[in-house]
Amino acid sequence: MRFAYYPGCVAQESGKELDLSTRYVCRALGIELVEFPNFSCCGSGFLDEANGLLNVALNARNLAIAERAGLDLLTICSTCQGMLTFANRRLERPEVKAKVDGALQPLGLAYSGRTKVTHLLRVLANEVGPDRLRSMVKRPLRGLKVAAFYGCHLLRPADELQSESAEEPHEFEDLIEALGATPVLYRGRVLCCGFPILFVKERTANRIAGRQIHDAKAHGADAMATPCPLCHISLDSFQNKAEREVGERLDMPVFHFPQLVGLALGASPEELGLPRHLVSTRSALEKLGSVAVPA
Amino acid sequence: MQRHDVVVVGAGLAGQRAALAAAQAGADVALVSKLHPLRSHSGAAQGGINAAVGAEDSVETHIYDTVKGSDYLGDQDAIEFFCQSAGPTVVEMEHFGTIFSRGEDGSLARRAFGGAGFPRTIYAADRTGLALLQAIYEHLGGVPVTTYEEWFLLSIVVRDGRVQGIVALDRRTGAVEGIAAKAVVIATGPAGRVYGRTTNAHSCTGDGIAAAYRAGAYLKDMEFVQFHPTALLESGILITEGARGEGGYLKNRLGERFMSKYAPHVLELASRDVVSRAIVTEVNAGNGFPGGYVTLELMHLGREKVESRLQEICDFSRSFAGIDPVTQPIPVMPAQHYMMGGVGTNIRGETNLRGLYAAGEAACVSIHGANRLGGNSLLETLVFGKQAGTAAAAYAKDAPDAAVTPADVDRETAALHALEDRKDGESPQRIRADLQQTMDSRVGIYRNPDDLHRALVEVRALQARWRAVRVEDRSSTYNIDLTDALEVGHLLDLAEVIAVGAIARTESRGAHTRVDFPKRDDQNWMRHTMARRTPEGPELSYAPVAYTRWEPKERVY
Amino acid sequence: MFAEEKLIPVPFDVYRFDPAQGGEPRYQHYELKLAPHTPVLSGLLKIRDEVDPTLALRYSCRSAICGSCAMLVNSKSRLACRTPVGPEVAKHGRVVIDPMRNQPVLRDLVVDQRGFWSNYRRIEPRLLLDPSRPMPEGRPTQMTPAQVDRFRETPRCIACASCYSACPAVEADPEFPGPMALAKLYRFVVDPRDGAHDERLRKVQLSGLWLCLRCHLCTEACPKDVRPSERIRDLKELAVRSQGATERGSRHAVGFLENIAEAGQLNEMKLVRQTDGLVGTVGQLGQGLRLARKKPELLKKPRTIDGVEEVRKLYEALQKDEEVPL
Repeated sequence: MRFAYYPGCVAQESGKELDLSTRYVCRALGIELVEFPNFSCCGSGFLDEANGLLNVALNARNLAIAERAGLDLLTICSTCQGMLTFANRRLERPEVKAKVDGALQPLGLAYSGRTKVTHLLRVLANEVGPDRLRSMVKRPLRGLKVAAFYGCHLLRPADELQSESAEEPHEFEDLIEALGATPVLYRGRVLCCGFPILFVKERTANRIAGRQIHDAKAHGADAMATPCPLCHISLDSFQNKAEREVGERLDMPVFHFPQLVGLALGASPEELGLPRHLVSTRSALEKLGSVAVPA
Repeated sequence: MQRHDVVVVGAGLAGQRAALAAAQAGADVALVSKLHPLRSHSGAAQGGINAAVGAEDSVETHIYDTVKGSDYLGDQDAIEFFCQSAGPTVVEMEHFGTIFSRGEDGSLARRAFGGAGFPRTIYAADRTGLALLQAIYEHLGGVPVTTYEEWFLLSIVVRDGRVQGIVALDRRTGAVEGIAAKAVVIATGPAGRVYGRTTNAHSCTGDGIAAAYRAGAYLKDMEFVQFHPTALLESGILITEGARGEGGYLKNRLGERFMSKYAPHVLELASRDVVSRAIVTEVNAGNGFPGGYVTLELMHLGREKVESRLQEICDFSRSFAGIDPVTQPIPVMPAQHYMMGGVGTNIRGETNLRGLYAAGEAACVSIHGANRLGGNSLLETLVFGKQAGTAAAAYAKDAPDAAVTPADVDRETAALHALEDRKDGESPQRIRADLQQTMDSRVGIYRNPDDLHRALVEVRALQARWRAVRVEDRSSTYNIDLTDALEVGHLLDLAEVIAVGAIARTESRGAHTRVDFPKRDDQNWMRHTMARRTPEGPELSYAPVAYTRWEPKERVY
Repeated sequence: MFAEEKLIPVPFDVYRFDPAQGGEPRYQHYELKLAPHTPVLSGLLKIRDEVDPTLALRYSCRSAICGSCAMLVNSKSRLACRTPVGPEVAKHGRVVIDPMRNQPVLRDLVVDQRGFWSNYRRIEPRLLLDPSRPMPEGRPTQMTPAQVDRFRETPRCIACASCYSACPAVEADPEFPGPMALAKLYRFVVDPRDGAHDERLRKVQLSGLWLCLRCHLCTEACPKDVRPSERIRDLKELAVRSQGATERGSRHAVGFLENIAEAGQLNEMKLVRQTDGLVGTVGQLGQGLRLARKKPELLKKPRTIDGVEEVRKLYEALQKDEEVPL
């Protein structure tokens, strides 16, 4: 498997641990990541609000770059997944495509719609498959109860994203099970983390994040895991503020999805960047016994 | 006790239009409805609203088509006024914000409908009723009208020869309250739920018609019940006439477009009574599909047209019948759809009771006569809703103060308690099911005297059972068991009037088809049935049909 | 083709609660046998008619047009009348029915919708005319096909409140008017007959527009494919274009746009400054430093992507263009 690797902005900066763990996992699973230093930001849903056409064009450029290399595009962020797929869908409209074509042509780029956009989680769920993944696990995450947190744009709108089921998905839980951990089912798993309004009305955003974490905890989760670094910001980086909003101590370790896979494949916490989290993952790692818990 | 100049009961298109007109005339208006106004059954109307605005069309032709469609039972003066009002009404609704479908040139699009000489049905995809309902509700939002949402009409109070107001039940709290009003407008829609197989909503239980009847108003032409030719086989959910207007075919098991036998000139676009009879005739002759139905085919129209102009139909068929009309024929059979009859009114919406008005499907002016044309009912709600509201406000201006007394309220409260206090008795739902069974099987498209007489006997037996009905639910909040019981009482009153009228009318005209009297009998029956309530049941009398210019002819399509 | 479907056992667990009678909410169990394609509503009405007439719910048209019977079917916001029981039983083994969310329960499945309706009224849902542009006398207005095309989705809305029930922003913040109200507002903002577009866009920015989470739960819940989240996106863009970057939400969106033009990718800290202004940023300082201890990249200027000039060319080519309906 070979993909044009689209890490997204956050994984290249404040969420570097996501990039680190992705590279570890892909190496281990034989997924080749081809890098394109000329990829731009996907717009993160915010650019779309200021100028939708520009947002589509920006992603058409990203897609055309991958297309020129003959590769499908691999994201590691639910929001990137959503925005790039959104562009593919919108470019099916002739009037949109005509405008974007006109802007791409002077750049020597052409968009045909051939480039598929997929997310690492979906590659593991559908291409690698839970069974093969299970067979490669070196250190089963036995005893760990993990609450999957999908991130909206991996799921919805379901018709655009062709996600398995927007309301009752199970891909993520299937993978958690394959890693040896126990998936926790709770309502919040398909809900929003609050990130999109973190800069608009922070307390509301924190409250939303807090409710989902509380929900996971109430259902017995030892840790949460997310395939979206923006969710990770809400759930981990701002968990202290979420605690204030829901009025309780949450202490919920939140893994990036590839970190969880990496742990099961035998990586050390440092290799996966776990010490970079705001909420310590120690309590979860201790449950696993066999992992050396970093100081 | 609440007090207003004008109380409009029912908040569908007719009721809201009446409230708007009355408020604009300066009256203090209340709108009372057992549903939120946007949940009204007007919103389920699909096909469109007629107005002869095309260059090739004329008001004159619209009048003629309506007169002919009515099988010459419509009052021609009312029909003239009605059709002349069509253009301005549509323009007004467009200005209120209705989102109509439009042609390439940006003008209002029109489609062909049954019984019409030209394509004159203006539409909003296949949800014209919803588009109009939203627009009028939104427009009314800018006008001072007090709305009593989810209040259930219990009775119309009449004293000293005048209407004094209503007594109603607040469904949310269970409170029974009087609302005094000098004028009351009944716009509560039809009583289609006397039938089991109906396109009507569950809420179409004729509450206002029954209340008016009990208060002493005449009901007119109640035996004329329209059966829509194309309702989904199993659920009775409506498939708009617009589907045929857009070019859909009706076919039997042999693959024939059988309408060629019944209406050689216009085929599927004959009027509804004609098409419904044809379908039943085909099925009875063994030409139906196994299980007894015919199909409506849209496949030849192409995906683009079907999906853009018949969005709801696609959705209904897919979700309620598992059929994709783009690629598969839709199984259909006729179902009760519309009541031509209702509270008798004149062109101003006035009834025989001072201060009582009616409009919309609850009323009978009559413009539809023995058979309504598609596209004329939405128009009627707006034209005559406005008439009734205007007249009610004008009357209220000079009428003496009205009062609903504590005794009026207590009487209704006591009646409700009696229902709830019974230790045993039958459930209203059981009685309703039996009523619907009777009406479906004995008072349908083809009517014979035996069945009609048996139906009347059965309905009267059901009325006796209803007097011992038992409401099991004791809650004061949203007690549907209680309102079910009240609704069934209304349905029984009206079913009786339908049956009595159908027995008496020994001819076939429009939607009323007597197998023993297959011909129209203008000599004896070109007259309206008027039913008045007496302790012994409905007492019938007859009123003349108003003529202007159109001589009765045989109807050929 | 229409063979009789076999009846299957359908266990219903229905939420029951009557605050007037006191007591705790509970689930009542009913066992029915139904054909798999039977709508949930038909099952509930069968319960009412034959088993338990005390069950309270709203319903009317049973054909997905009156909007009365929205409720939770196995936790999903659905119109009961157009949700068949078969797939629910296949997936969950039973049909669990709850009242909609975000609206207080009056009784059983009947919720108090006054909040929903008042949020709808907040957006002034009626044509507001510009006195200088009266309606044409005696005839309908003309519209171009492009104007008509703007009405593709919104007129389908039946105000069933499924979106309102599914919306986490409604749940978290009373300032947010909800998806239906905003989709309805869009319908007026793109209506060429309406004379208050800019005023509407100005007001809505102050009353919750930017609290939409873009989570698309409303679009998933909507039984009529109105796609409220997409209409809200459209509204945001129209608001930015009409009003500029005046509010936190629009400042953030426009800041993002400028951010990308500069480096091709996101500068997280700079964006915070653009959105919050200097004072706001100082308020965030504590949290910023807390994060930067673990994530030192936050304090550095991020890399500029290769070929950023291509991104700028895209901006030059398209930024000035009129908004294109997406």
